[in-house]
Amino acid sequence: MSSPTRSAPDAGVVPDAGAPSAVSIVDLTKSFGGLKAVSEVTIQVPTRRIHGILGPNGAGKTTVLNMVSGFIQPDKGSISVFGDEVTGLSPHQIARHGVARTYQNIRLFAGMTVLETVAAGAYLKRSSTIPGAIFFSPSERRERREVRDRATDLLRQVGVRAEPDALAETLSYGDQRRVEIARALATEPRVLLLDEPTAGMNDAESHEIGELLLELRGSGLTLILIEHNMRLVEEFCESVSVMNSGAMLAQGAPSWCLEQDDVKEAYFGKRSDAARIATLRRARRGPGGS
Amino acid sequence: MSTTAWITTLQFAGVNALFALSIYATLWTGVLSLAPIFFGAVGAFTFGYLAGTVGLSPFLGLVLGVVLGAALGALTAALVIRLDSHYLAMATIAMVLIGRVLVVNLTELTGGAAGTLVPGELGTWLWLIGCLVVAGYVLARLAKSRFGMAADAVREDAAVAQTLGISPRRIQLVGFVISGAFGGAAGVMQASFLQYIGPDTFYTHLGFVTLAAVVLGGAFHWAGPIVGAIVFTILPELLKDVMGEYDRVVTGVLLVVIIIFVPRGLVDLRRVRLLRARSRQDPPRAGDDSARPTAPQEVTA
Repeated sequence: MSSPTRSAPDAGVVPDAGAPSAVSIVDLTKSFGGLKAVSEVTIQVPTRRIHGILGPNGAGKTTVLNMVSGFIQPDKGSISVFGDEVTGLSPHQIARHGVARTYQNIRLFAGMTVLETVAAGAYLKRSSTIPGAIFFSPSERRERREVRDRATDLLRQVGVRAEPDALAETLSYGDQRRVEIARALATEPRVLLLDEPTAGMNDAESHEIGELLLELRGSGLTLILIEHNMRLVEEFCESVSVMNSGAMLAQGAPSWCLEQDDVKEAYFGKRSDAARIATLRRARRGPGGS
Repeated sequence: MSTTAWITTLQFAGVNALFALSIYATLWTGVLSLAPIFFGAVGAFTFGYLAGTVGLSPFLGLVLGVVLGAALGALTAALVIRLDSHYLAMATIAMVLIGRVLVVNLTELTGGAAGTLVPGELGTWLWLIGCLVVAGYVLARLAKSRFGMAADAVREDAAVAQTLGISPRRIQLVGFVISGAFGGAAGVMQASFLQYIGPDTFYTHLGFVTLAAVVLGGAFHWAGPIVGAIVFTILPELLKDVMGEYDRVVTGVLLVVIIIFVPRGLVDLRRVRLLRARSRQDPPRAGDDSARPTAPQEVTA
Protein backbone atom coordinates (compact mmCIF):
# COMPACT_ATOMS: atom_id res chain seq x y z
CA MET A 1 0.00 0.00 0.00
CA SER A 2 1.33 3.43 -0.84
CA SER A 3 2.00 5.88 1.94
CA PRO A 4 -0.28 8.90 2.19
CA THR A 5 0.81 11.87 0.09
CA ARG A 6 1.58 15.14 1.81
CA SER A 7 0.47 18.30 0.04
CA ALA A 8 1.34 21.85 0.91
CA PRO A 9 -1.83 23.93 1.26
CA ASP A 10 -0.35 26.80 -0.79
CA ALA A 11 1.23 24.68 -3.45
CA GLY A 12 -1.36 25.29 -6.12
CA VAL A 13 -1.44 21.67 -7.23
CA VAL A 14 -5.24 21.78 -7.25
CA PRO A 15 -6.46 23.59 -10.38
CA ASP A 16 -8.85 26.51 -10.37
CA ALA A 17 -12.49 25.52 -10.03
CA GLY A 18 -14.13 25.18 -13.44
CA ALA A 19 -10.86 25.32 -15.39
CA PRO A 20 -9.59 21.89 -16.46
CA SER A 21 -6.02 20.96 -15.57
CA ALA A 22 -3.56 20.95 -18.43
CA VAL A 23 -2.62 17.44 -17.36
CA SER A 24 -4.65 15.37 -14.95
CA ILE A 25 -3.20 12.08 -13.75
CA VAL A 26 -5.44 10.07 -11.44
CA ASP A 27 -4.51 6.88 -9.56
CA LEU A 28 -1.97 5.87 -12.18
CA THR A 29 -0.56 2.40 -11.57
CA LYS A 30 1.93 0.33 -13.55
CA SER A 31 3.69 -2.95 -12.73
CA PHE A 32 6.45 -4.72 -14.62
CA GLY A 33 6.18 -8.37 -13.61
CA GLY A 34 6.37 -8.37 -9.84
CA LEU A 35 7.72 -4.82 -9.62
CA LYS A 36 5.25 -2.03 -8.98
CA ALA A 37 6.93 0.81 -10.86
CA VAL A 38 4.15 3.36 -10.27
CA SER A 39 1.52 3.00 -7.59
CA GLU A 40 -1.70 5.05 -7.46
CA VAL A 41 -0.05 8.30 -8.44
CA THR A 42 -2.22 11.39 -8.79
CA ILE A 43 -0.87 14.65 -10.21
CA GLN A 44 -2.84 17.71 -11.34
CA VAL A 45 -0.90 20.25 -13.34
CA PRO A 46 -2.71 23.55 -14.04
CA THR A 47 -2.17 25.37 -17.31
CA ARG A 48 0.89 27.59 -17.74
CA ARG A 49 2.73 25.88 -14.94
CA ILE A 50 6.29 24.59 -14.68
CA HIS A 51 5.85 21.41 -12.68
CA GLY A 52 8.74 19.22 -11.59
CA ILE A 53 8.67 15.50 -10.88
CA LEU A 54 11.43 14.63 -8.45
CA GLY A 55 12.72 11.52 -6.79
CA PRO A 56 15.74 9.27 -6.56
CA ASN A 57 16.65 6.79 -9.30
CA GLY A 58 14.00 4.09 -9.70
CA ALA A 59 11.27 6.29 -8.22
CA GLY A 60 9.05 5.80 -11.29
CA LYS A 61 9.32 9.34 -12.69
CA THR A 62 10.16 8.35 -16.27
CA THR A 63 7.49 5.63 -16.16
CA VAL A 64 4.92 8.33 -15.38
CA LEU A 65 6.18 10.44 -18.28
CA ASN A 66 6.14 7.40 -20.58
CA MET A 67 2.52 6.74 -19.64
CA VAL A 68 1.49 10.36 -20.22
CA SER A 69 3.10 10.31 -23.68
CA GLY A 70 1.60 6.89 -24.52
CA PHE A 71 4.82 4.86 -24.66
CA ILE A 72 3.56 2.63 -21.85
CA GLN A 73 -0.06 1.80 -21.14
CA PRO A 74 -1.06 2.03 -17.46
CA ASP A 75 -2.55 -0.96 -15.63
CA LYS A 76 -4.95 1.33 -13.79
CA GLY A 77 -5.84 4.99 -13.55
CA SER A 78 -6.52 7.71 -16.07
CA ILE A 79 -4.71 10.52 -17.84
CA SER A 80 -6.41 13.50 -19.42
CA VAL A 81 -5.00 16.49 -21.27
CA PHE A 82 -7.05 19.69 -21.14
CA GLY A 83 -10.08 17.62 -20.19
CA ASP A 84 -9.65 15.06 -23.01
CA GLU A 85 -9.15 11.49 -21.86
CA VAL A 86 -5.96 10.14 -23.47
CA THR A 87 -5.53 6.92 -21.46
CA GLY A 88 -4.86 4.00 -23.80
CA LEU A 89 -4.16 6.15 -26.86
CA SER A 90 -1.01 5.58 -28.91
CA PRO A 91 1.81 8.16 -28.77
CA HIS A 92 0.94 9.72 -32.15
CA GLN A 93 -2.68 10.21 -31.06
CA ILE A 94 -1.55 11.79 -27.79
CA ALA A 95 0.80 14.07 -29.74
CA ARG A 96 -2.27 15.28 -31.66
CA HIS A 97 -3.73 16.36 -28.29
CA GLY A 98 -0.79 18.74 -27.95
CA VAL A 99 1.68 16.69 -25.89
CA ALA A 100 5.35 16.70 -26.92
CA ARG A 101 8.39 15.35 -25.14
CA THR A 102 12.15 15.01 -24.89
CA TYR A 103 14.13 12.06 -23.61
CA GLN A 104 16.48 11.20 -20.77
CA ASN A 105 18.92 9.73 -23.32
CA ILE A 106 19.01 12.09 -26.30
CA ARG A 107 17.21 10.54 -29.28
CA LEU A 108 17.98 12.51 -32.43
CA PHE A 109 17.50 11.08 -35.92
CA ALA A 110 20.78 9.73 -37.33
CA GLY A 111 21.96 11.40 -40.52
CA MET A 112 19.69 14.46 -40.22
CA THR A 113 20.97 18.00 -40.05
CA VAL A 114 19.96 20.32 -37.23
CA LEU A 115 17.38 22.05 -39.45
CA GLU A 116 15.96 18.76 -40.80
CA THR A 117 15.61 17.38 -37.26
CA VAL A 118 13.48 20.34 -36.19
CA ALA A 119 11.57 20.36 -39.50
CA ALA A 120 10.65 16.69 -38.93
CA GLY A 121 8.83 17.86 -35.81
CA ALA A 122 6.55 20.04 -37.93
CA TYR A 123 4.70 17.02 -39.40
CA LEU A 124 1.39 17.86 -37.72
CA LYS A 125 1.58 21.45 -38.90
CA ARG A 126 2.09 20.51 -42.56
CA SER A 127 -0.82 19.75 -44.82
CA SER A 128 0.76 19.08 -48.21
CA THR A 129 -0.22 15.96 -50.13
CA ILE A 130 1.90 13.48 -52.06
CA PRO A 131 0.68 14.74 -55.49
CA GLY A 132 1.40 18.29 -54.30
CA ALA A 133 4.94 17.29 -53.36
CA ILE A 134 5.55 15.40 -56.64
CA PHE A 135 4.35 18.30 -58.80
CA PHE A 136 6.00 20.80 -56.45
CA SER A 137 2.83 22.88 -56.20
CA PRO A 138 2.95 26.51 -55.00
CA SER A 139 1.42 25.46 -51.65
CA GLU A 140 4.13 22.81 -51.25
CA ARG A 141 6.86 25.37 -51.95
CA ARG A 142 5.28 27.86 -49.54
CA GLU A 143 4.96 25.19 -46.85
CA ARG A 144 8.61 24.12 -47.19
CA ARG A 145 9.70 27.75 -46.87
CA GLU A 146 7.50 28.25 -43.79
CA VAL A 147 8.76 25.06 -42.14
CA ARG A 148 12.38 26.11 -42.77
CA ASP A 149 11.77 29.60 -41.36
CA ARG A 150 9.91 28.25 -38.33
CA ALA A 151 12.68 25.71 -37.63
CA THR A 152 15.30 28.47 -37.87
CA ASP A 153 13.32 30.62 -35.42
CA LEU A 154 12.95 27.73 -32.98
CA LEU A 155 16.67 26.97 -33.11
CA ARG A 156 17.37 30.60 -32.32
CA GLN A 157 14.80 30.57 -29.51
CA VAL A 158 16.30 27.52 -27.77
CA GLY A 159 19.81 28.91 -28.22
CA VAL A 160 21.41 26.44 -30.61
CA ARG A 161 24.62 28.03 -31.77
CA ALA A 162 25.57 25.43 -34.41
CA GLU A 163 25.06 25.86 -38.14
CA PRO A 164 21.58 24.70 -39.27
CA ASP A 165 23.14 22.41 -41.89
CA ALA A 166 25.43 20.70 -39.37
CA LEU A 167 24.78 17.04 -38.64
CA ALA A 168 22.72 17.07 -35.41
CA GLU A 169 24.57 14.12 -33.90
CA THR A 170 27.91 15.98 -34.14
CA LEU A 171 26.79 18.85 -31.89
CA SER A 172 27.84 19.31 -28.28
CA TYR A 173 25.74 17.52 -25.68
CA GLY A 174 24.03 20.73 -24.59
CA ASP A 175 23.18 21.73 -28.15
CA GLN A 176 21.79 18.26 -28.89
CA ARG A 177 19.45 18.66 -25.92
CA ARG A 178 18.38 22.06 -27.24
CA VAL A 179 17.74 20.63 -30.72
CA GLU A 180 15.59 17.95 -29.12
CA ILE A 181 13.58 20.67 -27.34
CA ALA A 182 13.25 22.62 -30.62
CA ARG A 183 12.00 19.47 -32.39
CA ALA A 184 9.37 18.98 -29.68
CA LEU A 185 8.38 22.66 -29.93
CA ALA A 186 7.96 22.31 -33.70
CA THR A 187 4.85 20.21 -33.02
CA GLU A 188 3.41 23.40 -31.42
CA PRO A 189 2.45 21.57 -28.24
CA ARG A 190 0.31 22.74 -25.36
CA VAL A 191 2.13 20.48 -22.90
CA LEU A 192 5.87 19.80 -23.02
CA LEU A 193 7.33 16.86 -21.10
CA LEU A 194 11.06 17.13 -20.44
CA ASP A 195 13.04 14.20 -19.07
CA GLU A 196 16.14 15.60 -17.36
CA PRO A 197 16.60 18.52 -19.78
CA THR A 198 19.79 19.76 -18.09
CA ALA A 199 21.53 16.40 -17.65
CA GLY A 200 25.21 16.82 -18.52
CA MET A 201 25.03 20.62 -18.60
CA ASN A 202 27.05 23.02 -16.46
CA ASP A 203 25.41 25.60 -14.15
CA ALA A 204 25.38 28.37 -16.74
CA GLU A 205 23.83 26.16 -19.42
CA SER A 206 21.28 24.80 -16.92
CA HIS A 207 20.31 28.34 -16.01
CA GLU A 208 19.82 29.15 -19.72
CA ILE A 209 17.47 26.17 -19.98
CA GLY A 210 15.61 27.44 -16.91
CA GLU A 211 15.19 30.85 -18.55
CA LEU A 212 13.94 29.12 -21.69
CA LEU A 213 11.35 27.23 -19.62
CA LEU A 214 10.09 30.53 -18.21
CA GLU A 215 9.88 31.98 -21.71
CA LEU A 216 7.94 28.95 -22.95
CA ARG A 217 5.56 29.11 -20.02
CA GLY A 218 5.07 32.78 -20.80
CA SER A 219 4.01 31.85 -24.32
CA GLY A 220 1.24 29.65 -22.89
CA LEU A 221 2.91 26.27 -22.58
CA THR A 222 2.53 23.92 -19.62
CA LEU A 223 5.79 22.18 -18.75
CA ILE A 224 6.37 19.01 -16.77
CA LEU A 225 9.97 18.12 -16.15
CA ILE A 226 11.91 15.41 -14.42
CA GLU A 227 14.98 17.01 -12.92
CA HIS A 228 17.77 16.20 -10.49
CA ASN A 229 19.24 19.70 -10.42
CA MET A 230 17.65 21.01 -7.20
CA ARG A 231 18.90 24.55 -7.71
CA LEU A 232 17.07 24.66 -11.06
CA VAL A 233 13.94 23.12 -9.53
CA GLU A 234 13.81 25.60 -6.68
CA GLU A 235 14.43 28.55 -8.99
CA PHE A 236 12.13 27.72 -11.89
CA CYS A 237 9.48 25.14 -10.86
CA GLU A 238 6.29 26.50 -9.33
CA SER A 239 5.21 23.13 -8.01
CA VAL A 240 6.69 19.68 -7.70
CA SER A 241 5.67 16.08 -7.09
CA VAL A 242 8.21 13.96 -5.23
CA MET A 243 8.13 10.21 -5.83
CA ASN A 244 9.92 7.29 -4.27
CA SER A 245 9.65 3.58 -5.12
CA GLY A 246 6.69 4.26 -7.40
CA ALA A 247 4.62 6.10 -4.80
CA MET A 248 3.95 9.79 -4.30
CA LEU A 249 5.73 11.23 -1.27
CA ALA A 250 4.82 14.90 -1.35
CA GLN A 251 3.37 17.54 -3.66
CA GLY A 252 3.53 21.28 -3.42
CA ALA A 253 5.94 24.17 -3.63
CA PRO A 254 9.54 23.02 -4.19
CA SER A 255 10.95 24.62 -1.03
CA TRP A 256 8.21 23.06 1.12
CA CYS A 257 8.54 19.59 -0.44
CA LEU A 258 12.32 19.50 -0.12
CA GLU A 259 12.05 20.25 3.60
CA GLN A 260 9.85 17.22 4.29
CA ASP A 261 11.52 14.41 6.26
CA ASP A 262 10.12 11.74 3.86
CA VAL A 263 11.70 13.51 0.94
CA LYS A 264 15.06 13.99 2.68
CA GLU A 265 15.01 10.32 3.64
CA ALA A 266 14.27 9.25 0.07
CA TYR A 267 17.22 11.25 -1.22
CA PHE A 268 19.78 10.89 1.57
CA GLY A 269 18.64 7.81 3.54
CA LYS A 270 17.48 7.59 7.16
CA ARG A 271 19.34 9.44 9.89
CA SER A 272 19.95 6.09 11.62
CA ASP A 273 21.42 4.69 8.34
CA ALA A 274 23.78 7.62 8.13
CA ALA A 275 24.91 7.04 11.73
CA ARG A 276 25.47 3.33 11.04
CA ILE A 277 27.54 4.11 7.91
CA ALA A 278 29.65 6.59 9.87
CA THR A 279 30.30 3.94 12.60
CA LEU A 280 31.29 1.36 9.96
CA ARG A 281 33.68 3.84 8.35
CA ARG A 282 35.29 4.58 11.69
CA ALA A 283 35.62 0.85 12.41
CA ARG A 284 37.28 0.22 9.02
CA ARG A 285 39.84 2.95 9.62
CA GLY A 286 40.83 1.23 12.88
CA PRO A 287 41.82 2.76 16.21
CA GLY A 288 44.55 4.89 14.62
CA GLY A 289 42.32 6.27 11.86
CA SER A 290 41.34 9.88 11.87
CA MET B 1 32.33 -8.70 -73.63
CA SER B 2 30.67 -7.80 -76.95
CA THR B 3 28.79 -4.55 -77.49
CA THR B 4 25.48 -6.43 -77.68
CA ALA B 5 26.24 -8.18 -74.38
CA TRP B 6 27.11 -4.81 -72.80
CA ILE B 7 23.84 -3.27 -73.98
CA THR B 8 21.82 -6.21 -72.65
CA THR B 9 23.65 -6.10 -69.31
CA LEU B 10 23.03 -2.36 -68.95
CA GLN B 11 19.35 -2.81 -69.80
CA PHE B 12 18.96 -5.41 -67.07
CA ALA B 13 20.89 -3.15 -64.71
CA GLY B 14 18.21 -0.53 -65.42
CA VAL B 15 15.35 -2.96 -64.74
CA ASN B 16 17.09 -4.13 -61.55
CA ALA B 17 17.40 -0.47 -60.56
CA LEU B 18 13.61 -0.12 -60.87
CA PHE B 19 13.12 -3.16 -58.65
CA ALA B 20 15.74 -1.78 -56.25
CA LEU B 21 13.86 1.55 -56.06
CA SER B 22 10.74 -0.44 -55.28
CA ILE B 23 12.52 -2.17 -52.37
CA TYR B 24 13.92 1.22 -51.29
CA ALA B 25 10.41 2.73 -51.10
CA THR B 26 9.50 0.47 -48.16
CA LEU B 27 12.99 0.44 -46.61
CA TRP B 28 12.69 4.24 -46.48
CA THR B 29 9.87 3.73 -43.97
CA GLY B 30 11.81 1.11 -42.01
CA VAL B 31 10.27 -1.99 -43.61
CA LEU B 32 12.31 -4.70 -45.33
CA SER B 33 10.10 -6.19 -48.03
CA LEU B 34 10.72 -8.47 -51.02
CA ALA B 35 7.10 -8.04 -52.11
CA PRO B 36 8.18 -5.94 -55.17
CA ILE B 37 9.13 -9.22 -56.89
CA PHE B 38 5.56 -10.44 -56.39
CA PHE B 39 4.14 -7.09 -57.56
CA GLY B 40 6.39 -7.36 -60.64
CA ALA B 41 5.19 -10.90 -61.36
CA VAL B 42 1.51 -9.90 -61.13
CA GLY B 43 2.08 -6.87 -63.39
CA ALA B 44 4.08 -8.85 -65.95
CA PHE B 45 1.75 -11.86 -66.20
CA THR B 46 -1.35 -9.67 -66.31
CA PHE B 47 0.24 -7.64 -69.10
CA GLY B 48 1.24 -10.84 -70.94
CA TYR B 49 -2.24 -12.33 -70.62
CA LEU B 50 -4.16 -9.19 -71.65
CA ALA B 51 -1.77 -8.44 -74.53
CA GLY B 52 -2.27 -11.98 -75.82
CA THR B 53 -6.05 -12.15 -75.37
CA VAL B 54 -7.48 -8.65 -75.86
CA GLY B 55 -4.47 -7.00 -77.54
CA LEU B 56 -3.75 -4.56 -74.70
CA SER B 57 -1.35 -1.87 -75.89
CA PRO B 58 2.12 -1.85 -74.24
CA PHE B 59 1.62 1.66 -72.79
CA LEU B 60 -1.69 0.64 -71.19
CA GLY B 61 0.08 -2.51 -69.99
CA LEU B 62 2.64 -0.36 -68.19
CA VAL B 63 -0.08 1.84 -66.67
CA LEU B 64 -1.96 -1.29 -65.60
CA GLY B 65 1.23 -2.66 -64.04
CA VAL B 66 1.65 0.54 -62.00
CA VAL B 67 -2.00 0.67 -60.87
CA LEU B 68 -2.20 -3.04 -60.09
CA GLY B 69 1.10 -2.90 -58.22
CA ALA B 70 -0.02 0.10 -56.15
CA ALA B 71 -3.31 -1.60 -55.27
CA LEU B 72 -1.49 -4.80 -54.31
CA GLY B 73 0.95 -2.70 -52.26
CA ALA B 74 -1.95 -1.24 -50.26
CA LEU B 75 -3.49 -4.68 -49.81
CA THR B 76 -0.16 -6.19 -48.71
CA ALA B 77 0.36 -3.36 -46.23
CA ALA B 78 -3.11 -3.87 -44.80
CA LEU B 79 -2.35 -7.56 -44.28
CA VAL B 80 1.23 -7.56 -43.00
CA ILE B 81 1.98 -4.13 -41.54
CA ARG B 82 1.05 -5.21 -38.01
CA LEU B 83 3.85 -7.77 -38.01
CA ASP B 84 7.18 -7.02 -36.37
CA SER B 85 10.24 -6.36 -38.54
CA HIS B 86 11.65 -9.81 -39.36
CA TYR B 87 8.23 -11.51 -39.41
CA LEU B 88 7.10 -8.87 -41.90
CA ALA B 89 10.16 -9.56 -44.09
CA MET B 90 9.43 -13.31 -43.91
CA ALA B 91 5.82 -12.71 -44.93
CA THR B 92 6.95 -10.83 -48.06
CA ILE B 93 9.43 -13.62 -48.92
CA ALA B 94 6.49 -16.02 -48.59
CA MET B 95 4.62 -13.88 -51.14
CA VAL B 96 7.43 -14.48 -53.65
CA LEU B 97 7.26 -18.23 -53.02
CA ILE B 98 3.45 -18.21 -53.32
CA GLY B 99 3.77 -16.22 -56.55
CA ARG B 100 5.76 -19.02 -58.19
CA VAL B 101 3.21 -21.63 -57.09
CA LEU B 102 0.43 -19.49 -58.59
CA VAL B 103 2.33 -19.06 -61.87
CA VAL B 104 2.86 -22.81 -62.17
CA ASN B 105 -0.76 -23.67 -61.34
CA LEU B 106 -2.78 -20.93 -63.03
CA THR B 107 -1.91 -22.45 -66.41
CA GLU B 108 -4.62 -20.71 -68.43
CA LEU B 109 -3.49 -17.26 -67.32
CA THR B 110 0.28 -17.70 -67.01
CA GLY B 111 1.18 -20.57 -69.32
CA GLY B 112 2.11 -22.68 -66.28
CA ALA B 113 5.56 -24.26 -66.14
CA ALA B 114 6.09 -23.47 -69.84
CA GLY B 115 5.63 -19.73 -69.27
CA THR B 116 4.23 -17.22 -71.73
CA LEU B 117 5.36 -14.80 -74.43
CA VAL B 118 5.13 -11.05 -73.89
CA PRO B 119 5.26 -8.22 -76.49
CA GLY B 120 8.61 -6.46 -76.50
CA GLU B 121 7.67 -2.93 -77.61
CA LEU B 122 8.49 -1.45 -74.21
CA GLY B 123 11.89 -3.12 -74.12
CA THR B 124 13.75 -0.04 -75.35
CA TRP B 125 16.19 2.42 -73.82
CA LEU B 126 13.64 5.19 -74.12
CA TRP B 127 11.02 3.45 -72.00
CA LEU B 128 13.58 2.16 -69.52
CA ILE B 129 15.24 5.54 -68.95
CA GLY B 130 11.80 7.18 -68.90
CA CYS B 131 10.64 4.84 -66.12
CA LEU B 132 13.84 5.39 -64.12
CA VAL B 133 13.65 9.17 -64.50
CA VAL B 134 10.01 9.24 -63.37
CA ALA B 135 10.74 6.94 -60.37
CA GLY B 136 13.84 8.94 -59.40
CA TYR B 137 11.97 12.23 -59.81
CA VAL B 138 9.07 11.08 -57.62
CA LEU B 139 11.42 9.94 -54.84
CA ALA B 140 13.58 13.07 -55.08
CA ARG B 141 10.50 15.33 -54.86
CA LEU B 142 9.15 13.35 -51.91
CA ALA B 143 12.48 13.51 -50.05
CA LYS B 144 11.84 16.79 -48.20
CA SER B 145 8.05 16.63 -48.33
CA ARG B 146 5.78 15.98 -45.35
CA PHE B 147 5.78 12.28 -46.23
CA GLY B 148 9.54 12.14 -46.85
CA MET B 149 10.51 13.74 -43.54
CA ALA B 150 8.07 11.45 -41.72
CA ALA B 151 9.48 8.38 -43.54
CA ASP B 152 13.02 9.38 -42.48
CA ALA B 153 11.84 9.81 -38.90
CA VAL B 154 10.01 6.45 -38.83
CA ARG B 155 13.03 4.64 -40.29
CA GLU B 156 15.44 6.17 -37.77
CA ASP B 157 13.28 5.92 -34.62
CA ALA B 158 9.63 4.93 -34.98
CA ALA B 159 8.91 5.54 -31.28
CA VAL B 160 10.21 9.13 -31.37
CA ALA B 161 8.42 9.70 -34.69
CA GLN B 162 5.16 8.78 -32.98
CA THR B 163 5.63 11.49 -30.35
CA LEU B 164 5.82 13.97 -33.24
CA GLY B 165 2.32 12.90 -34.27
CA ILE B 166 3.47 10.57 -37.05
CA SER B 167 1.63 7.26 -37.42
CA PRO B 168 4.29 4.75 -38.56
CA ARG B 169 1.71 2.38 -40.06
CA ARG B 170 0.19 5.12 -42.16
CA ILE B 171 3.62 6.13 -43.48
CA GLN B 172 4.53 2.49 -44.14
CA LEU B 173 1.25 1.99 -46.01
CA VAL B 174 2.18 4.85 -48.35
CA GLY B 175 5.65 3.30 -48.71
CA PHE B 176 4.04 0.01 -49.79
CA VAL B 177 1.83 1.78 -52.35
CA ILE B 178 4.84 3.52 -53.93
CA SER B 179 6.77 0.25 -53.79
CA GLY B 180 3.89 -1.54 -55.50
CA ALA B 181 3.67 1.04 -58.30
CA PHE B 182 7.43 0.81 -59.00
CA GLY B 183 7.41 -2.99 -58.65
CA GLY B 184 4.52 -3.35 -61.11
CA ALA B 185 6.30 -1.12 -63.65
CA ALA B 186 9.57 -3.02 -63.15
CA GLY B 187 7.76 -6.32 -63.80
CA VAL B 188 6.27 -5.07 -67.07
CA MET B 189 9.67 -3.71 -68.16
CA GLN B 190 11.45 -6.95 -67.24
CA ALA B 191 8.87 -8.94 -69.24
CA SER B 192 9.21 -6.57 -72.21
CA PHE B 193 12.99 -6.99 -72.35
CA LEU B 194 12.88 -10.77 -71.95
CA GLN B 195 9.77 -11.18 -74.17
CA TYR B 196 9.23 -14.44 -72.33
CA ILE B 197 8.35 -14.96 -68.66
CA GLY B 198 8.10 -18.18 -66.69
CA PRO B 199 7.84 -19.41 -63.08
CA ASP B 200 11.49 -18.57 -62.34
CA THR B 201 11.55 -15.07 -63.85
CA PHE B 202 10.24 -13.41 -60.70
CA TYR B 203 11.66 -15.59 -58.01
CA THR B 204 13.91 -15.35 -54.96
CA HIS B 205 17.10 -14.85 -56.98
CA LEU B 206 15.80 -11.57 -58.44
CA GLY B 207 14.70 -10.50 -54.96
CA PHE B 208 18.06 -11.14 -53.34
CA VAL B 209 20.02 -9.54 -56.19
CA THR B 210 17.97 -6.34 -56.02
CA LEU B 211 18.09 -6.31 -52.21
CA ALA B 212 21.88 -6.68 -52.41
CA ALA B 213 21.91 -3.79 -54.89
CA VAL B 214 20.09 -1.59 -52.34
CA VAL B 215 22.51 -2.59 -49.57
CA LEU B 216 25.50 -1.93 -51.83
CA GLY B 217 24.25 1.40 -53.17
CA GLY B 218 22.71 2.59 -49.94
CA ALA B 219 19.20 2.61 -48.53
CA PHE B 220 19.35 6.18 -47.24
CA HIS B 221 19.10 8.11 -50.50
CA TRP B 222 17.06 7.40 -53.62
CA ALA B 223 20.21 7.44 -55.80
CA GLY B 224 21.70 4.57 -53.77
CA PRO B 225 19.58 1.74 -55.25
CA ILE B 226 20.25 2.97 -58.80
CA VAL B 227 24.03 3.06 -58.25
CA GLY B 228 23.90 -0.28 -56.42
CA ALA B 229 21.88 -1.99 -59.16
CA ILE B 230 24.22 -0.78 -61.90
CA VAL B 231 27.37 -1.85 -59.99
CA PHE B 232 25.87 -5.15 -58.86
CA THR B 233 24.67 -6.09 -62.36
CA ILE B 234 27.73 -4.99 -64.31
CA LEU B 235 30.45 -6.19 -61.91
CA PRO B 236 29.69 -9.95 -62.20
CA GLU B 237 29.76 -9.63 -66.01
CA LEU B 238 33.15 -7.90 -65.88
CA LEU B 239 34.50 -10.42 -63.38
CA LYS B 240 33.26 -13.37 -65.45
CA ASP B 241 36.02 -12.75 -68.02
CA VAL B 242 38.71 -12.84 -65.31
CA MET B 243 37.31 -15.09 -62.60
CA GLY B 244 35.18 -17.50 -64.62
CA GLU B 245 32.82 -19.40 -62.32
CA TYR B 246 34.13 -17.59 -59.24
CA ASP B 247 32.61 -14.20 -60.17
CA ARG B 248 29.74 -14.67 -57.70
CA VAL B 249 32.22 -15.37 -54.90
CA VAL B 250 33.90 -12.03 -55.59
CA THR B 251 30.61 -10.11 -55.69
CA GLY B 252 29.56 -11.84 -52.46
CA VAL B 253 32.82 -10.88 -50.75
CA LEU B 254 32.44 -7.32 -52.07
CA LEU B 255 28.97 -7.13 -50.51
CA VAL B 256 30.31 -8.32 -47.15
CA VAL B 257 33.15 -5.77 -47.32
CA ILE B 258 30.64 -2.99 -48.10
CA ILE B 259 28.39 -4.05 -45.19
CA ILE B 260 31.37 -4.03 -42.79
CA PHE B 261 33.16 -0.86 -43.90
CA VAL B 262 30.40 1.23 -45.52
CA PRO B 263 27.28 -0.05 -43.76
CA ARG B 264 25.10 2.74 -45.14
CA GLY B 265 26.13 1.94 -48.73
CA LEU B 266 28.03 3.78 -51.45
CA VAL B 267 25.63 6.75 -51.59
CA ASP B 268 25.54 8.10 -48.05
CA LEU B 269 24.71 11.70 -47.31
CA ARG B 270 25.49 11.21 -43.62
CA ARG B 271 29.11 10.33 -44.43
CA VAL B 272 29.44 13.49 -46.51
CA ARG B 273 27.97 15.56 -43.68
CA LEU B 274 30.29 13.96 -41.12
CA LEU B 275 33.32 14.73 -43.29
CA ARG B 276 32.10 18.32 -43.65
CA ALA B 277 31.65 18.57 -39.86
CA ARG B 278 35.21 17.30 -39.35
CA SER B 279 36.62 19.80 -41.83
CA ARG B 280 34.72 22.56 -40.00
CA GLN B 281 36.17 21.48 -36.67
CA ASP B 282 39.74 21.67 -38.01
CA PRO B 283 39.78 24.83 -40.14
CA PRO B 284 43.23 25.99 -41.24
CA ARG B 285 44.16 28.90 -39.00
CA ALA B 286 45.57 32.13 -40.38
CA GLY B 287 49.32 32.28 -39.88
CA ASP B 288 49.50 28.59 -38.98
CA ASP B 289 52.38 27.17 -41.01
CA SER B 290 51.46 23.59 -40.23
CA ALA B 291 48.14 24.05 -42.02
CA ARG B 292 49.84 25.13 -45.24
CA PRO B 293 50.99 22.67 -47.85
CA THR B 294 54.64 21.96 -47.37
CA ALA B 295 57.01 21.89 -50.31
CA PRO B 296 58.87 18.55 -50.75
CA GLN B 297 62.34 20.14 -50.50
CA GLU B 298 61.44 21.59 -47.05
CA VAL B 299 60.54 18.12 -45.77
CA THR B 300 63.73 16.47 -46.99
CA ALA B 301 66.05 19.32 -45.97
